[in-house]
Amino acid sequence: MGKERRLIGAIGLILLFLCLLPLMASDYHVSVFLDLMMWIALTESWIILSGYTGYISLGHSAFFGLGAYLMAITWTHIPYGLGVILAGLLSTAFAFAIGFPFLRVRGPYFVILTLGLTEFTKFLFINLEIKLGGTVGRILMMTPGLHTLYYSILVVTAIATITAYFVKNSRFGTGLFSIKEDEDAANAMGINTSLYKWLAFGISASFPGMVGAILALRRSYIDPYTVFSPIVSFQVIVMAFVGGLEDVEGAVVGAVILTLISEALWARYPYTYMIILGIVMIFIVKFMPLGLVFPIKRRILMRRKGKDR
Amino acid sequence: MDLTRVLQIIFTGLIIGGIYALIAVGLNLIYGTMRLLNIAHGELIMVGAYVTYWLYMLYGVSPLLSMVLVVGLSAIIGLLVCFFIFLPIIRSSKSITVLESNSLLVFFGLSFIFTNVASLLWTADIRGYSYMTRVIHIAGVPLMYNRLLALGVALFVCLACYFLLQKTMLGKAIRALIQDREASQLVGINANFIYLISFCAAFGMAGLAGCLLSMFYEITPFMGLPYTIIAFIVIVLGGLGNILGSLLGGFLLGLLETIGVSVTSPGLRPILSYSVFILIILIRPKGIFGRGVY
Amino acid sequence: MKNKTAIVFLSFIVAVGFVCLPMSQASAKDAITMGFSISLTGMYAAQAAGQMDAYQLWEETVNNRGGIHVKKYGKKLPVKLVYYDDKSQAETAVRVYEKLITEDKVDVVLSPATTGIHFAVAPMAEKYKVPIVGSTAASVKLRDIKTEYFWFITACVPDRQMEALVDLLKHLKIKNIAIIYAQELFPRENLQFLDPYVKEAGFNVLLRKDYPMGAKDLTTLLSEVKAKNPEAVIALCYVPGSFTMTTQAQEVGLNPKLFFQLIGPAAVPFGPKFGPAAEGLTTMGHWSPKGKWPGARDFHDSYVAKFNKKPDYLNSTLAYASCQIVEQTIEKVGSLDWKKMRDYIAAHEFQTINGPMKFSGTENTRTPSMILQWQKGELEIIWPESTATAKPLYPKPAWP
Repeated sequence: MGKERRLIGAIGLILLFLCLLPLMASDYHVSVFLDLMMWIALTESWIILSGYTGYISLGHSAFFGLGAYLMAITWTHIPYGLGVILAGLLSTAFAFAIGFPFLRVRGPYFVILTLGLTEFTKFLFINLEIKLGGTVGRILMMTPGLHTLYYSILVVTAIATITAYFVKNSRFGTGLFSIKEDEDAANAMGINTSLYKWLAFGISASFPGMVGAILALRRSYIDPYTVFSPIVSFQVIVMAFVGGLEDVEGAVVGAVILTLISEALWARYPYTYMIILGIVMIFIVKFMPLGLVFPIKRRILMRRKGKDR
Repeated sequence: MDLTRVLQIIFTGLIIGGIYALIAVGLNLIYGTMRLLNIAHGELIMVGAYVTYWLYMLYGVSPLLSMVLVVGLSAIIGLLVCFFIFLPIIRSSKSITVLESNSLLVFFGLSFIFTNVASLLWTADIRGYSYMTRVIHIAGVPLMYNRLLALGVALFVCLACYFLLQKTMLGKAIRALIQDREASQLVGINANFIYLISFCAAFGMAGLAGCLLSMFYEITPFMGLPYTIIAFIVIVLGGLGNILGSLLGGFLLGLLETIGVSVTSPGLRPILSYSVFILIILIRPKGIFGRGVY
Repeated sequence: MKNKTAIVFLSFIVAVGFVCLPMSQASAKDAITMGFSISLTGMYAAQAAGQMDAYQLWEETVNNRGGIHVKKYGKKLPVKLVYYDDKSQAETAVRVYEKLITEDKVDVVLSPATTGIHFAVAPMAEKYKVPIVGSTAASVKLRDIKTEYFWFITACVPDRQMEALVDLLKHLKIKNIAIIYAQELFPRENLQFLDPYVKEAGFNVLLRKDYPMGAKDLTTLLSEVKAKNPEAVIALCYVPGSFTMTTQAQEVGLNPKLFFQLIGPAAVPFGPKFGPAAEGLTTMGHWSPKGKWPGARDFHDSYVAKFNKKPDYLNSTLAYASCQIVEQTIEKVGSLDWKKMRDYIAAHEFQTINGPMKFSGTENTRTPSMILQWQKGELEIIWPESTATAKPLYPKPAWP
């Protein structure tokens, strides 16, 4: 009981800090945290499907771009908040629409299939844009201020993290983990794996959609090449791995660590930052193949087991 | 459509397809034997292209000679990467899924390292050079010598690969390993040795593809990713682990591309390719030729 | 449980601490800091390289003279570039400018690379009321940016550029043309304006086809163009497309009397790669070292001396010219006051290595869009006649 209270207390403190940040810190710091929270939201939502079920998806970028475009198209026609929500809904709808056939594909085939999806969506939008507007790329004028965007991301990130947490600790989550463990066995035991995967896919897709919408306003300019870039998916995967795939806290840690290294290095050593990042990634796999958080947790569990005796 | 046009489409399709096949076969070798998805494959192409470029620009070394050098250099890189990074990972991985996910991370890391070392050393400027640009006419179709060379080399290497796999003991061992890792080790096949060979061959072929490409396309540190994506599509279509499948698949994709460009609006080409790809995977999740090993 | 949350909590504290680390403080006025973001990595890196080099050349040139004279401080102050990589990502660029303006408190802000990032950064100008002279951005939409603190200098804005091209075609009495274009932002925007001008001029468009970005094989398309036998081929492409197209046009034997490639022939590697094969190819532009403007030739020569390669006739010159505008503004205004600088830039004409520049709204309307052509190993300006350095070489000679 005490642990629960401590956890909630700590989280509350963090949330409070985040809420007050824009009032205390400069715009630059606010934007760093905006960035950080974007990655946390993306990573938390990604692990709901890919971390829990083991279906590694490179499709997060597709939903991100979808959300960005919805915002670009509806901007100044509908209120901002509605646009963000719609972006999330659209992404989920899209995920649900393609979910059943897509999730029948397994393993590495699924990985590459989702990569193909992202590329397909990118070229689809390029062609659509050409048909509709004659040019590629959209500008968004008079976008909301930094603080508005910051609080929006804060809300989205909080919801994403809470969702990831509740899914993990629910029967639904246990079902997802059983899929990762052994899908056929899970099926044999009566778990409707198709439905579970489908739900996870849809839920996880809503967040990149919303994040994409908010980011579109931050950038003021979007085009298919940048919003559908697979680099977004790649970075999310790295963060998830660093944090340990199944860990809600781990996702936060992964995002924070990568962002930290980023901040410390990219300003001064742009090329070296990436090189160091690459080396770090290789080292993590060599020495901590289960991510950073899991081994620490395991050690804690062991120690507690010892104490209980 | 007259015969010359048809022949032109076929020739150019095969030229591009040859490069695709080269890249895809290498990628598939690594996947088939080790179940690793080499996201950094395109970067080896980039390295091959740059090495050829610099040797040509600074020392006047003909790309024909560079080909050999590049293959050697890439193979050595493959050897080092496999030995120092992947063999330990394979040893220590508790399960296939862990191995696959860990290897993804490592390959991402390698990809970052390669592209940024290249940017650091050679700057991000676009580079290019011209070599063997005289045009020859074959059956009425105009072709530049360098593109003919690329086709020839790609065909030769792919066929050599195929014969090696079919007719030699080493080839049989590789195929056995792809088919069933445990069983092949039971009959005494040295898995680690095969892994090293696969890496060397795959990296070597990627480097060679880069050398060939450098003769007619532009060179930048970031040129690798599109080729990696294409290679993935080819091996998935041809069947993961199916070496002949990716060989044929590469040529097929090249042909489909050029046919698509000439028959339909060229602008629709990517959408068509990706829709076809997605459809095929959904219908036949194991690829056109399936998991069988030839 | 407790340790897990401790980890998360700790990570946050570390993150906060790191970020709030005191940055290098601005010292007493002994230099003018010029801040900007530039795409050192990512997909725009190749394009941005020429701009970065030009900025550095300018810094060196100015400092060799002792710096810029600022009346307020009664002396010449050297210039110091302060820059960060934006990784070719718009939101990173936005963050960089926020950092530069609020944290590093730079004296002057210079522009980033590429059109897309200019758009992302323009709102910064309005938000912080800091004047930003844009450089490597070209789009008609730039005129719509609603701020008085932002300008762009390129003459290669699609509508003016296409008008110039069509004027050249009319001058050469060309009737039959073929148009091929890449499915990308800039080529498409140009096409949008090319079509009405072509229609107005009454040209015979024998073929009008697009090709996807990154297309590796254009031979079938080019053969189709050849079969139609147009007098002029207008290719709206980017650098990679131009490389592919030039090589493969030679292969299929496509040799129109006028071969125009939107972007490519003026890129740095084009000349070295194609050598004599480049002869006669035309492209868009607004500068050549042979241009009759003060400093044009010097800029070219010092660039070659410093970097061992030619400058990019589009990106490098724009970047350098934008710096010149800033330099002249500081000198005339006598201080680094942003409002005063802004007012000065909006109202005056500047002399740059690209000739005179003056703004009407956000746009520099003084510099005409031009057509460049490779002649004997150098890019000459062949149109308009007011700024031409050579007569058009027409028809284009055969491939070597």
